[in-house]
Amino acid sequence: MSLPLAAESLSAASTSGALLDLSAVVMLLAAFACLGSKLFDRYVAYYALQSIVLSFAAGVVAFALHQPDLWALAVLTFLIKGVAIPFATRRFLLDRLELHRDVAISTGLSTSLIIGAFLTAFAYLAIRPHTLPHALVASAVVPLSTAIILLGGLTMVVRRHTIAQLIGWLILENGVFLGAITLTATFPFIVEAGIFLDLVAAVLIMITFVSGLAHRLATATAPELRELRH
Amino acid sequence: MTTLVVLVPVLPLLGALAPLTPLRARGLGLVLAAGGLGGFACAVAAAVHVAGHGTFETGSGFIYVDSLSSFFMLTVALVVVLASVGSIAYLRHEEQHDGLNLLQLRLYAAGFALFGGLMLASLETGNLGLLWVLIEASTLASAVLVGLEGKASSLEAAWKYIIVSSFGVTMALVATLFLYYASSPLALSPNQRLTWPALFLHAGALQHDSLRLAFLLGVIGYGTKVGLAPMHTWLPDAHSEAPSPASAMLSAALLNTGMYAIVRFQAVATPELGRYTNHVLLVFGFASIAIGALFMVRRGNFKRLFAYSSVEHMGIISVALGFGGVLGVYGALLHTLNHAIGKSVLFLTSGEVVQRWRTRDAGRVAGVLTRAPLVGGILLLGSLAILGSPPFGLFLSEFTIVRAGFRGSSWLAFLLLALLVLAFVGFARTTADMATGEPAPVDANAERQSVVAALPLVAGLAALLLLGVWIPGGLNSLIMHSIGAIT
Repeated sequence: MSLPLAAESLSAASTSGALLDLSAVVMLLAAFACLGSKLFDRYVAYYALQSIVLSFAAGVVAFALHQPDLWALAVLTFLIKGVAIPFATRRFLLDRLELHRDVAISTGLSTSLIIGAFLTAFAYLAIRPHTLPHALVASAVVPLSTAIILLGGLTMVVRRHTIAQLIGWLILENGVFLGAITLTATFPFIVEAGIFLDLVAAVLIMITFVSGLAHRLATATAPELRELRH
Repeated sequence: MTTLVVLVPVLPLLGALAPLTPLRARGLGLVLAAGGLGGFACAVAAAVHVAGHGTFETGSGFIYVDSLSSFFMLTVALVVVLASVGSIAYLRHEEQHDGLNLLQLRLYAAGFALFGGLMLASLETGNLGLLWVLIEASTLASAVLVGLEGKASSLEAAWKYIIVSSFGVTMALVATLFLYYASSPLALSPNQRLTWPALFLHAGALQHDSLRLAFLLGVIGYGTKVGLAPMHTWLPDAHSEAPSPASAMLSAALLNTGMYAIVRFQAVATPELGRYTNHVLLVFGFASIAIGALFMVRRGNFKRLFAYSSVEHMGIISVALGFGGVLGVYGALLHTLNHAIGKSVLFLTSGEVVQRWRTRDAGRVAGVLTRAPLVGGILLLGSLAILGSPPFGLFLSEFTIVRAGFRGSSWLAFLLLALLVLAFVGFARTTADMATGEPAPVDANAERQSVVAALPLVAGLAALLLLGVWIPGGLNSLIMHSIGAIT
């Protein structure tokens, strides 16, 4: 396998590479924390933390590789994912609908954490050996970001509450962007992709708010959703 | 030519400005229809140009129209025309019966225009990143239509639609990233590494492992839009909750747009991965046909029935691509066009039935033939057409696909035939019961058949009949050139 161009990815030995690696670990921990929590407030807090770390990581890559796109991504991530989405979720969904404790969990917390651990191991086994050159920080971070994607997906599966599923999807998205900035820093559509996925999040928050679906689901869950299925 | 290509999506998009004017239902509907017709005319002209002068490319691949794109553009533009003419009748009916308020009518017009225009735009770009952005944007526009009626069930369907298809679209983004990474050994600029013609030219030199991931994730990601099982779960809810012209757009245009992306991914991946791509598509295709056929046996909401039929047909197209070869791809493309017309007709017909009976439950609808002969007749004939009976177009395309199957392993072709028979029985049982039987007592404000509402139904059915007995030379060569563009 030929080594990608220097502008593509950071080397594992550099300071920036180490910082990126560290950020990825913190983001994975935040995803686990979210999976292991039962309070809506915490979900939002962990997500905000994860997003801010992501924006820091984007900044590190932007600085090291001189990518103006990634500076834009870092700023947007901080403002929208780190501040605006958590704020809107708290203010419009959690406070208005008086949501505190998530009871709509299909799998116990410890079971989901164990599944999460297996998924993380799987991410390493699936990604590490053959796709990535070892000299690059990508060989450490891409498995981590894959694990974050899988954990986000797991959150969407084991939680039935719309807000928890929303957070799960947002975590998954963070994982995608972490992988994107590590592996393909020159990807031309990174900022546009970020903006459009943020729009999706905004629409989802709006729908949840408008329909009051969240409130209904906080008390009764799956059986009511079956209504649609006939 | 640039103007022409730009006009194809822009004319339908102009309808999004109509809500800013004081126009009411009738005016909004007419603007949408005018935009749709204009877009279709431009798409035809563009296809003729491509047929004469070959592939058109400008703006370093951001605008790229080859035979395959113009084929899909024609299909989608035709659906937009049928659905927008259907919207005229729908909007007027809703206004007269206070089904939707003025804000909702305007939202409908804006959502419809954006949805149609963005889908057409996504077919015109050679840049896979831009393709992703446009498909994602059209998802957002269509979500407005799904949730339009504002009932708990339609909002829930919209939520499910967005979250499931955004999950899919995120996977498609990862696929695009891996495809981009797979091209890192090539000496190309970042934009070229996402541009289809450049990728296709160097398809044999892409990194094997990343490409395999990219293809698999691409089929899963865009397959979520297409409604391939097991990613189809959003589809029945969204199709049954959306207003009927919007259901027609979802089923006949959006699914095809997703399929277009899969065809592009397959073409890039095949030189390096070989038969692997065919096997993946066969697995997802058969899963979809089986799920679609099994759920069709169940009686209930007839719009859900049509939605499951879409899952089945997308499965058939995927299987056809999986069979591969000239015959398989020919069948797949022809089937795309036929299914698009047939399903538009059926969903618009279902809208007529919903307006008269005020229910989506097939068990409570009977005697459509007696009470509204035209709608009933089209419901019956349209069902026969969509199930692949001769002399309609779908018979010809399904026949081609089965023949392509027999060239490979005949047991797969037999499996396909068996599933088609199952689907036939399940589907026809419900629609035949709806069309025949004793009609319920007529309620006070029974409606007369409006000419505008009947127009797309009759035109679509006539087109299907025509395609069943005769494939125009221009269409044939367009399909053959499309096959040439991806092999």
